[in-house]
Amino acid sequence: MAGRAGQKKYINLYIAIAILLLFPLFLPRFYIYLISIILLYGLLATSLNIVLGYGGIFQFHHAVFYGVGAYGIALVLTKTGFPPWIGFIIGPLISAALSLIMGLICIRLSKLYFGMLQISLGSLVWAIVYRWYSFTGGDDGIHGIPIPELLQSPNGAYYFTLIITVISMWLMYKIIKSPFGSVLQGIRDNPVRSEMIGVNVKKHQLLGLVIAGFFAGVAGMVFVVVDNTVFPDMMFWTFSLEVLIMCLLGGWFSFLGPMLGAAVVVALRTFVSTFTVYWALVLGIIMILVIFFLPNGILGYVEEIIKRRSQTGSTIKG
Amino acid sequence: MDFIYSIISPQVLSQILVGLSRTVILFIVSSGMSLILGVLRIPNVAHGSLYMIGAYMAFSVSHFFGGSDIGFWLALIGAPLGVALVSLVAERGLFQYLYEREHLMLLLLTFAVSLVFGDLVKIVWGAAYKSVPVPQVFQGFVLLFGNLPFPRYNTFLLVIGPLVAIVLWLIVNKTKIGKISRAAAVDREMVGAVGINVSWVFGIVFVIGCLLAGLGGALVSPTVSVTLGMDHTLIIETFLIVTIGGLGNIWGALLGALIFGLTQSLGILIWPQFGIIFPYAAVVVVLLFRPTGLLKSTW
Amino acid sequence: MLRVESVTKSFSGFMAVKNANLDVQQGEIVAVIGPNGAGKTTLFNLITGILKPDNGRVFFKDEDITGLPPYEVCKKRISRSFQIVNVFPRLTVFENVQVSVLSQKKKTWNLFTPSNRLVVEETVEILNNVGLIDKKDRTSALLSHGDRKLLEIAIALGGNPEFLILDEPTAGMSPEETSRCIDLIKQLSDKLGLTILFCEHDMELVFAIAQRIMVMVRGTTIIQDTCNEVRCCKEVQDAYLGGSEVCSV
Ligand SMILES: Nc1ncnc2c1ncn2[C@@H]1O[C@H](COP(=O)(O)OP(=O)(O)OP(=O)(O)O)[C@@H](O)[C@H]1O
Ligand SMILES: [Mg+2]
Repeated sequence: MAGRAGQKKYINLYIAIAILLLFPLFLPRFYIYLISIILLYGLLATSLNIVLGYGGIFQFHHAVFYGVGAYGIALVLTKTGFPPWIGFIIGPLISAALSLIMGLICIRLSKLYFGMLQISLGSLVWAIVYRWYSFTGGDDGIHGIPIPELLQSPNGAYYFTLIITVISMWLMYKIIKSPFGSVLQGIRDNPVRSEMIGVNVKKHQLLGLVIAGFFAGVAGMVFVVVDNTVFPDMMFWTFSLEVLIMCLLGGWFSFLGPMLGAAVVVALRTFVSTFTVYWALVLGIIMILVIFFLPNGILGYVEEIIKRRSQTGSTIKG
Repeated sequence: MDFIYSIISPQVLSQILVGLSRTVILFIVSSGMSLILGVLRIPNVAHGSLYMIGAYMAFSVSHFFGGSDIGFWLALIGAPLGVALVSLVAERGLFQYLYEREHLMLLLLTFAVSLVFGDLVKIVWGAAYKSVPVPQVFQGFVLLFGNLPFPRYNTFLLVIGPLVAIVLWLIVNKTKIGKISRAAAVDREMVGAVGINVSWVFGIVFVIGCLLAGLGGALVSPTVSVTLGMDHTLIIETFLIVTIGGLGNIWGALLGALIFGLTQSLGILIWPQFGIIFPYAAVVVVLLFRPTGLLKSTW
Repeated sequence: MLRVESVTKSFSGFMAVKNANLDVQQGEIVAVIGPNGAGKTTLFNLITGILKPDNGRVFFKDEDITGLPPYEVCKKRISRSFQIVNVFPRLTVFENVQVSVLSQKKKTWNLFTPSNRLVVEETVEILNNVGLIDKKDRTSALLSHGDRKLLEIAIALGGNPEFLILDEPTAGMSPEETSRCIDLIKQLSDKLGLTILFCEHDMELVFAIAQRIMVMVRGTTIIQDTCNEVRCCKEVQDAYLGGSEVCSV
């Protein structure tokens, strides 16, 4: 029974991926770009959710790792003669390294203080990028980044985004379902008890942070491929809050929640702003409603309903 | 006066004074946030929006009186009161139902509210820059220490800062609401158990905190161009100030504002290109050595 | 097996534990009794590394474990349950215990094997032992109080301990649940050969299962002896049993 249910779940997944693969055949360019953005923001939000929803860590400034990953590849491609693939590897690795360093500094603080120290360290990184005109392009950023020819066409960039996103999501899913993932959730629920069952809490949290930072860097790298630009606002703290919102809207206790949240935010911004300049107002009101009525997010709510249905169903049968 | 200049160059001295006037604004806004953090435990992102609304309201009042001096003084009183009214509506309408939620939810809720406020400001005042004239009495410069020119308006700020600090001290230490809120910060249940309506205490503290944000906005308005997005940098600075000061500690906010204001103004002198990184670096250093802030946190 | 030597701990001037001594032999069941606020929980926290003592030493199997962090203490195969229910609320009953077993088996750094296939047997066995197997897929936050107390013990057993510390295991349980819990504790001692240190306010229970008793009053251990000796001791009766208990030797 459970096995068949599992298979059915995967069938939905395969269908979804197949549809995503076919999109470029009939959708206009603009939508292909839009879906790329949704996928990579979803990837970014999911990476945040590893430490936020599953790890219970107040990662307030996740965008820094995204931005640093993007700048990493951008700088390799524009300032060095290295072959491009090095940039694609270096971007995420720099993010992971930064995540490790910031994690080592912040990890001894808990909750809100962790978040605050992270915001100040992140702002420090932002400020350096923002002002270092000769190296990072300062507040202008870097435009027209020369990416490999294969990825220059919109469809090339789209397929690249899709493949990288699917692989990353699959890896993150494995990690969440692994023993390490279980322990991370245990730490979220009860750090004291986790120590008492033999878990070195800080070390596990640190690895969680590094993984989250790495995949944020992957998302940053994908953004460079899709948009060919980097700019300091990518790592401004308001963007971090936006990513937090994606997790909240979709539901941070569901694996695909952040992806859904990213889709909602991007769609809102694109479509609401075609008929009003006040899309932030709409987003704000939606968020307030979600916080009041769906504290587990949209997907969390749907899952709850499905669970309740299946439970009443089984009691009737039983 | 040569005596002073033999210790410290006029340039440095004037940057210090600039830093101190910045400190005044930062202190007024952060003390409000710290008050709210200490008593209600809300990391209020919308605080920055209220500061911005304060500045816009000051513009409206001043504009209504044709930019005259009387308009400035009325703006200084009217804008904070207007902001207090806005915050009262927000508190009674929204926040009061969510005090028990986790901090992360509160943070995001207040961020949502700040998005709404941001667009409301756009609707009411439009997207164009606004400027508030410096009142006649404060135009021009004074010569400090004999020959150091310093804007009169900043001198006014340097006087206002200590005044606000004293009033705050009186409110927190000498009034009933101050004592109750200090007790509530330490132990909410206890205060509720003695028969005090905690919900209203929280409401009042919230409104006072927001009034300070509005006052900060009104005070800053003649020195900057009033514009959308002026809340973004301020709110992050405010957050960091209250963190290094010790969450919920008003005097910590004063200390934090001093550190932030001075490193900002002196940083520009030391290394113009990277001046903005100095305050952030200072915060990192403070938190490395005192992870929970310089003064005792109420958390 | 466990030796606590004149351990002291104060909280901002208040002496919660003062010069406590304790000696537990392999295979014994030892109870710590004492009025509310006597410092029993604090003593357990000192042994398990959640708190660091100001003074004194803790030895386990003649090895000094004073001040080790909890996760190191746990590796010495000391496990504990908590007085105030301290489980992983968002995880299911099964996952609660599984996490503990995974940690004991040092599998927590494994990133890519699905955990639902790991250590299933061990986890199921523990759940069978404590009688929670029918409820294994429930979210632990939704369990009844008594079941959560059992889950407490189950999580502790996940660490495959030699030495088990139970902080008021039956507090808040119904009489029926309590008697089941007593059976469980006896079983753990008899069948698995665990050494058990526990504290409890229910005197009947204490006298039913403890082989030796330590009495704690205002942070100090006043006596450590067999049940009957303790029951008859004048000091204990005054301090704790209210002087009303009759010596039954
Ligand atoms: N973290 C702490 N900070 C300050 N005081 C504490 C702390 N933990 C315990 N105490 C104090 O130490 C004393 C002993 O507490 P403890 O919990 O060890 O008692 P106990 O014997 O377990 O009591 P009970 O039977 O109620 O569980 C109490 O007065 C308590 O208030
Ligand atoms: Mg106790």
